[in-house]
Amino acid sequence: MAKFKSGYMALIFGFLYLPMAVLVLYSFNSSKYSIRWEAFSLDWYRSLATDDTLLEAAMNSLLVASLAASLACAVGTLGAVGLYRYRFKGRKLLQGLLFVTLMSPDIVMAVSLLVLFIAVHVNLGFWTLLLSHTTFCLPFVTITVLSRLEGFDRHLIEAASDLGASEWQAIRQIVLPLAMPAIMAGWLLSFTLSLDDVVVSFFVTGPEFEVLPLKIYSMVRLGVKPEVNALATLLFAVSLGVVISAQYLLQRKPQ
Amino acid sequence: MIPSQHIPLRPAFSTFGQMKSPLPCILKIISSLLLCFYGAIASGEVQEIRLFGWSDYLMPEILDQFTQETGIAVRYTSYDSNESMYAKLKLLNSGGYDLAMPSTYFVDKMRREGMLHAIDKTKLPNYKNLDTRQLDKPFDPENQYSIPYLWGTTGIGLDTDKFKPQDLQAWADLWKPMFVDRLLLPNDMREVFHVALIVLGYSGNNTDPEHIRQAYELLKKLLPNVRLFNSDAADVLFMTGEADAGVVWNGAANRIRREQPSFQYVYPKEGVIIWMDSLIIPKNAPHVELAHRLIDFLLRPDIAQAISEKVGSATPNLEALKHLDPKVRDNMTIYPSDEILSKGEYQTDIGEAITIYTQYWEKLKAE
Amino acid sequence: MRNANLFKTSIILLLSVWLAVFVLVPNLLVLVASFLGRDESGFIKFAPSFDNYLRLLDPIYLRVFAHSLGLALLTTMVCLGLGYPFAYFLAQFRPSLRPVLLTLVIVPFWTNSLIRTYAIRSLLAAKGLMNNTLIALGLIDEPIRLLYTGSAVLIGMVYILLPFMILPLYSAIEKLDRRLVEAAADLGAGRWRRFWHVTLPLTLPGIIAGCLLVFMPALGLFFIADVLGGSRDLLVGNFLKDQFLDARDWPFGAAASIVLIGLLLLFLSAYAYSLKQFSAEENH
Repeated sequence: MAKFKSGYMALIFGFLYLPMAVLVLYSFNSSKYSIRWEAFSLDWYRSLATDDTLLEAAMNSLLVASLAASLACAVGTLGAVGLYRYRFKGRKLLQGLLFVTLMSPDIVMAVSLLVLFIAVHVNLGFWTLLLSHTTFCLPFVTITVLSRLEGFDRHLIEAASDLGASEWQAIRQIVLPLAMPAIMAGWLLSFTLSLDDVVVSFFVTGPEFEVLPLKIYSMVRLGVKPEVNALATLLFAVSLGVVISAQYLLQRKPQ
Repeated sequence: MIPSQHIPLRPAFSTFGQMKSPLPCILKIISSLLLCFYGAIASGEVQEIRLFGWSDYLMPEILDQFTQETGIAVRYTSYDSNESMYAKLKLLNSGGYDLAMPSTYFVDKMRREGMLHAIDKTKLPNYKNLDTRQLDKPFDPENQYSIPYLWGTTGIGLDTDKFKPQDLQAWADLWKPMFVDRLLLPNDMREVFHVALIVLGYSGNNTDPEHIRQAYELLKKLLPNVRLFNSDAADVLFMTGEADAGVVWNGAANRIRREQPSFQYVYPKEGVIIWMDSLIIPKNAPHVELAHRLIDFLLRPDIAQAISEKVGSATPNLEALKHLDPKVRDNMTIYPSDEILSKGEYQTDIGEAITIYTQYWEKLKAE
Repeated sequence: MRNANLFKTSIILLLSVWLAVFVLVPNLLVLVASFLGRDESGFIKFAPSFDNYLRLLDPIYLRVFAHSLGLALLTTMVCLGLGYPFAYFLAQFRPSLRPVLLTLVIVPFWTNSLIRTYAIRSLLAAKGLMNNTLIALGLIDEPIRLLYTGSAVLIGMVYILLPFMILPLYSAIEKLDRRLVEAAADLGAGRWRRFWHVTLPLTLPGIIAGCLLVFMPALGLFFIADVLGGSRDLLVGNFLKDQFLDARDWPFGAAASIVLIGLLLLFLSAYAYSLKQFSAEENH
């Protein structure tokens, strides 16, 4: 039984990792159409490094992802604090809306935002992209932070208020520190979601602001290009690095 | 009420849920670095124009040469159908891009809808190089809005390792059962309908709803043979063995032949489809002046010649034609004989009938 | 006190206004557009009617919806079938190794999904690794033409979405109170009975969460069908993209989007209802 379990898990991991492993391997293959192995080469990495538009798209992506994640964290955290702290009319409605936004397919949001931007005659580009990305990150942050806060004892804040702390002081000194890990988690998740997004970006950005996923999409549409293998390897290495270092930071933390 | 304890995705990042101080600092550093770097790139502003063109239709080397000579950077974004190019320009209110390359009938449509910027020929000293036979066409009288870039044909391509050439000599042969799941068709509504209309004996510019319906019914019967619709990467698809025969543009056919000698381009018996792609400047292009400079550069005989040889389609540039490598000039795939041309047909704007085509096209794709 | 009130109002307003402006209003605009007509040169024209919805009733478009829902459902089932045992075994694994294995599940989740779709394509290509291996082993003579078929799209969907299924399942199974299972064993329940009557019901929230997380995106990921289906496999996502960005029939696309939102609300209410049932049972 134990053998079967390990075997099954290995099979699933194989399914998850084999295709990526193939790309990594082919990224070092000198053959242009990746049909059979010819010789080791770094040509595709070299041709990537000289592609300025790709580099710029990558910078654009990082910029939007970090700004959208931060904006979503700011609005989302405050909103979560509000939802946690106060009872008000429409609270359930607001929560429901958050949940529906969280679950709605990207394409629905992409279409609706495009209609909005065209209706108010905004030029598609950096700003529309930033607002859209913030919007789809927002429910993730709010709900993460809210669910963490709900795990804590409400009396803490009441005690602080009784001791004469103002509302803002109570929130800043007690609620926010408690929520911090969830905010960080929300930021990281938003950052990744934004970097990964194809569907929404495809609809709401313009030619003056190209982002990496759309560049990749056009490269991938054009068939087997060895540069894509190299790019894939790099991106895979980055995500591997981020996840592993995050885990490392986590485990180093004194218990 | 949100059942927060079950909020999906939490496990995905719950591992990060207990992080304390080091991470915020690191993130702060990363983001400020990022902003500095970004600022550095943005401040080194160079003049740049944005070109919206067909996939694989202008080599990066040519654009690099333009940048070296003029200091103007060019960004090439590709599209795979006239429709998506047109839709994108509509979305951007005829701005965003400085140049695009619509085909014949789209020039007409966009011109009439006021989406194009008039071209100032005094800024194009190389305009004189163009072959007058390729100018002043009905879709743009006196070339007020468009400058011919390349012209070519849509025909049949096949891998002779997989099929015998005599099996595929006419458009109608595509329907043969031997091609089940083997064909590549362009992801292009007008081209695909054109083929069916020709087989039915009609013009490819037919606007009769009944005839278009018949074409649709005929195309439905072709679907089992169609492996995929793609206009981006016909060359790669043949070279990687995904497609063995199909409807291809002559440019792609030439590129495939270079890598795969067993590939053959056939002029179908019923008559080939002829098209011309023109350079246009969208009405609200941000850099009209620079766009003119690029057009003029592309009209230079040496440049036009290089493009025609590399892309594998014909140049409307008479001066370039004179200097063309004889091997290219005599290549029937690029420069078909007058006899073939006389049997060919240009696509023209079909006006309102386009909505009928579109509806049937959607139905076809949804089958 | 007044300051506190101001603070309260402003933080609630901030979130509410954001969601109103970027979620509610846009979708209301889509709703309005879905009842209007198409204009050749502009985007929409004022011609109120139900035409767009009636057009959607054409069997061909119904088939697109049915096909998409079917594929999304199939993807969900395959993910559940593959993911449940995996999450279950993972939860039983040596605790010291579990974080490492969990990280290995998370890494693909953090890797660009287009890149991963492309990876699947290189694997399945006519001259890709799979076919080359099979030919080298002498199992087949001619390459299997898997790419640009419905199966390729299904494989791609499962590949992209599997981590979304495994993670909530794992968290539900890990939280499972093992004493309950042991108690059932003490009472003489066999392995399958224990699974069926104790483990499965207790992990149901995780199952439902995972299914939603796979099912909803599966409806919208147009690029998977694009890259792996060769424009032959039309899903709702591709259909919407085509209507808005190629065919430029916004009102028609808007109607399709509204139908999709309707389906979404339907599924979510079913989810909320099932959770309510679940917690009600738990409290008894």
